[in-house]
Amino acid sequence: MSEKPLKTDEQLIADFQNGNENAFVELVDRYKDRLVNFVYRFLHDMTDAEDMVQETFLKVYKNKHAYREIAKFSTWIYTIAGNLARSELRKRKRRKTYTMSDLSFDDNEFTPVDPGKDTEGIVFNSYAGEEIMKAIYALPEPFQTIIILRDIQELSYEDISTILDIPMGTVKSRVNRARLKLQDTLSYLKE
Amino acid sequence: MQNTDCTFICEQFTEYQDNSLSSKIRARVDTHLASCSSCSEIYQKLAGVIETLHKLPTLQASSDFNSTLLSRIETLNQETVWQKFYHSSSSRVAGYAIAAGLIVAIGINIMIDPISPVKTGIQSNFAGEQIKPNQPTESLAEISDSSANHPVDSLTLQNSTINSQNQSMQLVSGKK
Repeated sequence: MSEKPLKTDEQLIADFQNGNENAFVELVDRYKDRLVNFVYRFLHDMTDAEDMVQETFLKVYKNKHAYREIAKFSTWIYTIAGNLARSELRKRKRRKTYTMSDLSFDDNEFTPVDPGKDTEGIVFNSYAGEEIMKAIYALPEPFQTIIILRDIQELSYEDISTILDIPMGTVKSRVNRARLKLQDTLSYLKE
Repeated sequence: MQNTDCTFICEQFTEYQDNSLSSKIRARVDTHLASCSSCSEIYQKLAGVIETLHKLPTLQASSDFNSTLLSRIETLNQETVWQKFYHSSSSRVAGYAIAAGLIVAIGINIMIDPISPVKTGIQSNFAGEQIKPNQPTESLAEISDSSANHPVDSLTLQNSTINSQNQSMQLVSGKK
């Protein structure tokens, strides 16, 4: 007996627009973890991240008819979540300005992974996840967003281009510059 | 980065990593990396960073995420009902009617009784002197008549109004 094929996101949002609330629940189940991961990388606080993702779904619920099937549902919802997260981030940065001194490793928080223990073949240079996240957090906001979308969420350049509303060429060059900046920051921290 | 070629090579790293470079440029990057230890080191570090990023632990939404969201949606729906009522045309019309009624009522009140004196047992004249209720007073008509013919002393106003600045000035000057 063959399994019933899964509906696409776009079919589900269409169902929801036609009054099927179960379709909305299905979309929530599909996206909640992905979005929590996405937003958490900005906010570094699980409670805030979940709250922001809930806000995202509430916006989808309230504005379901604003979605048109000219874009993928994923890019639409990522755009909403990204805007909310960046807005929150800007509010926070107005309250507190982070500097490189915040990333000081005098407090022993910076602990590079011992390459000798690395079994995954990342011999030349490996960093603990926490240090990477600190370094990402220290990047200027446009680089931060692009690294999160590309290297953590692993979205396509096309999707990123749609979400950020910038040309594909800009996405690629910005990803490259963001990665180099990130690597610079990590090198600086490690010295 | 040592020269312009190094700069160019570093700009290609993302697409090099993604295998999306043309074969010609890819060959150029390969050749450069084989001969430039500086760029090769940068690329190795970059590859390490990207690989670590891909391996960052995945977070999961809490188990009560859906139930919390559901209760927020219910609250939202309740608010929406009130908002619908608030924004509905019938409630707007009712609101306008009440506002218009209040304006008319206030207007009529002002026309009938522009300055209502405080109705107390003891009242004051313009000089601040208290007078007893049974003390004889003059009406506005009497004041007008008397002020026209002779100076006025200690004029008191009761159950009357003065709506002319000239009159009140005359009264004050009369007291002096």
